[in-house]
Amino acid sequence: MELLVAQLLNGLVYGVLLFLMAAGLSLIFGLMNVVSLAHGSFFMLGAFLGLAIVQVTGSFWIALVLAPLAVALLGIVMEVLFLRPLYARGHMDQVLLTFGFTFVFYDLVQTVWGRIVLRLPTPAILQGTVDIGAGVFSAYRLFLIGFGFAIAVLLWLLLERSRIGAMVRAGVDNAAMAAGLGGNIALLFTGIFGFGVALAGLGGVAAGPTLGLYPGMDTDILIPAFIVIVIGGMGSLRGAFVGSLLIGIADTFGKAYLQSIALFLIYLAMTVVLLIRPQGLFGIRYADAPPSAVARTMPPSTKATRAVGLIVLAVLIVLPFGLPDYPRALIAEIYIFAIFAMSLDLILGFSGLMSLGHAAFFGLGAYAVAVLGVQFGLDAWIGLAAGVALAAAGAALIGFFCVRTGGIPFLMLTLAFSQLVFSVALKWRDVTGGSDGMALAEQPSFFGFSLSHSLVMYFMTLMFFVAAYLGLRRLIDAPLGHVFVGIRENEPRMAAIGYPTLAYKLVAFTIAGAIAGLAGGLYVIYNGFISSDAVYWTASGDILIMTMLGGAGTLIGPPIGAAVFLLMKNVASSYSEHWLAIIGTAFICCVLFFPGGIWGSVQKLRGKAAP
Amino acid sequence: MLDLDHVDAFYGDSHILHGVSFTVRDGEVVCLLGRNGAGKTTTILTVMGYLHPRAGAVRYNGRDIGALSPYAVARLGFGFVPQERGIFPSLTVRENLTVFARGGRGDDWTLERIFVLFPGLKARERNLGFQLSGGEQQMLSIARALMLNPSLLLLDEPSEGLAPMIVQEIVQILHRLKGEGLAILLVEQNLRVALALADRHHVMNKGEICFTGNSAELESNDFVLRNYLSV
Repeated sequence: MELLVAQLLNGLVYGVLLFLMAAGLSLIFGLMNVVSLAHGSFFMLGAFLGLAIVQVTGSFWIALVLAPLAVALLGIVMEVLFLRPLYARGHMDQVLLTFGFTFVFYDLVQTVWGRIVLRLPTPAILQGTVDIGAGVFSAYRLFLIGFGFAIAVLLWLLLERSRIGAMVRAGVDNAAMAAGLGGNIALLFTGIFGFGVALAGLGGVAAGPTLGLYPGMDTDILIPAFIVIVIGGMGSLRGAFVGSLLIGIADTFGKAYLQSIALFLIYLAMTVVLLIRPQGLFGIRYADAPPSAVARTMPPSTKATRAVGLIVLAVLIVLPFGLPDYPRALIAEIYIFAIFAMSLDLILGFSGLMSLGHAAFFGLGAYAVAVLGVQFGLDAWIGLAAGVALAAAGAALIGFFCVRTGGIPFLMLTLAFSQLVFSVALKWRDVTGGSDGMALAEQPSFFGFSLSHSLVMYFMTLMFFVAAYLGLRRLIDAPLGHVFVGIRENEPRMAAIGYPTLAYKLVAFTIAGAIAGLAGGLYVIYNGFISSDAVYWTASGDILIMTMLGGAGTLIGPPIGAAVFLLMKNVASSYSEHWLAIIGTAFICCVLFFPGGIWGSVQKLRGKAAP
Repeated sequence: MLDLDHVDAFYGDSHILHGVSFTVRDGEVVCLLGRNGAGKTTTILTVMGYLHPRAGAVRYNGRDIGALSPYAVARLGFGFVPQERGIFPSLTVRENLTVFARGGRGDDWTLERIFVLFPGLKARERNLGFQLSGGEQQMLSIARALMLNPSLLLLDEPSEGLAPMIVQEIVQILHRLKGEGLAILLVEQNLRVALALADRHHVMNKGEICFTGNSAELESNDFVLRNYLSV
């Protein structure tokens, strides 16, 4: 009984911290239709700034007030300078931009405060424990629960009972109408963004004495907060509150009593809610996604482009002979991720669906090779074929649910499903090795040549890359590809002229999954090792970034994006400790100065140059 | 007060308005008539700043407002009643009225005066926007625009989809507003509503104004009535 009460209270503590994150995130989603992946970073920055303020002033309470204000200021600057120009451009650019900021902030925190787990001192008055009748409980944690509920009530009053709150709700309902009545939507957006960020910062300070401070705490809170919003409904304060407490309590009890499947249960709950009530428990509606900012349809290949293609291929064939082992291996890795990125492009660029869970299929392909090889001693190439089949089947199954949605819900659902796959990979240790991963016993050979030779590896991956490129190119130029593009451009019209658009989207999703599985399988053959990290959502984020960086919807862009991303990562990380900040800054610049990605911008320049 | 001067407007690459010119003077009710797709709503959206003219000018009291955003246009003294009414579903009727209300000059519209003119809204004061009938939504949308104390009221098909009784009621209300000297730009497909209210009519077809005249001239022009208004 005492344990049960303690667990319940711990669940509430985690719940109110989630609420501080989710409330702001939900308002930003609901009102501004903006996906901000940087919200977790503001939570983290709040905590660390709080620590700095405590170190200077010695007072937790000053930190609790000042740190959120400082973070809010930062958020406002970010909104005005960086986000505002992107509102007209759609979610893709916002995701890329805010993802870039998470890298920069992570690096900043790591540089200033290091990697060890720090702790905010508990304020003197709240040290010790309180007897609550059913055992003793930390005074600070009790305070947190009360504090969280008080903030929730204040927020509710502000939103439901004040004129500013009415303006916010009007903006969530219909921002264009609010503007037509003289509502200053730009100011409202900035205010809400700053306010939401301040709440995240407040959560960070409040969490400091219990959760601890470390780089990476941003992601650890962001994902559960996403889940809360999906369950509770975007733009709904009540949804954020109920969802936070539900997830907080479920997570705490799950970890205590059902350790191995706790994570799985939460993602399963999110998936079920999304399928039954796509708008969440309390959501009124989903803000509709503005059309994705993708490059225009590719021009068909001509003699000239074919000639250029052949020249590029010739260069790629000659290239490794002049290179030492390490760059050969790096380029081989680039080929593998180029295949992965092109597969994502099929759904992102050519079908207009933004997936934040594509790593799931990469993982299915990879684990098929690894598990069949390690547990059953099967040849890696048989494993590769099985992996492609498994990834295709997985994509067909997951796609069956996901393609019914679009925009942000699609992003969330794919994220949820991929985290399901991740939690299986993480928890099914006997088979997958969990976070320790598993290694192939020996490197397979390729038609009798040993892949331990970097030249063989290079040509093997190049072959698969060229095959995947030509296959996808063929597919996109074929009538089927035109249907995909048609659905991206105007789905209702395609449906009206008799195309079963859902089925076509499912086909695109399945093909993309299969090719991602191919990339995953090749990666295990290349790397000889796979761990659950490869299926974590950040892996999905990385591949999304590569695709958008190069230029979604161009097929040539994603390999360029993969090359730039991996080269930057390798080069920057070998020359500077601050490679995360460098990459993050590169993303931010890319969004601001190269809309449509690198290849998209090149195409635009060429379009201008041509008469 | 409002002056459109050879306005060209586009949706993306499609050219919708071709050299549209007309004027609304102080205290005048001007009506834009025409079939679906003639460019009437596009004209209103261009005036409101949702679209920006690519050529020509929109002037308000002599000032070019073509580049302003809807928010800035509204604050100049425009009361906008859109075709889909734009009621905020999660706000109460009262909140819908007060959320963006502004004081005007002299004879201000207040909640009390609004509830006298629209007694039906008083009864629904605490209901949420999504609980209203179509007619109530239309009344609320007009009342909400009045709460901005506008100098010019822009109405996009206020009679659309409503029962004849309610249309009659709305016509009476607009008549009273006209009597108080409020300038109105009205988009209509319902010829009887237009004839009952407007001082001047502009008939649009394919993004151009193809007829201009008063009620008597419109009623006697069989060619325009038959070809552009399908009467």
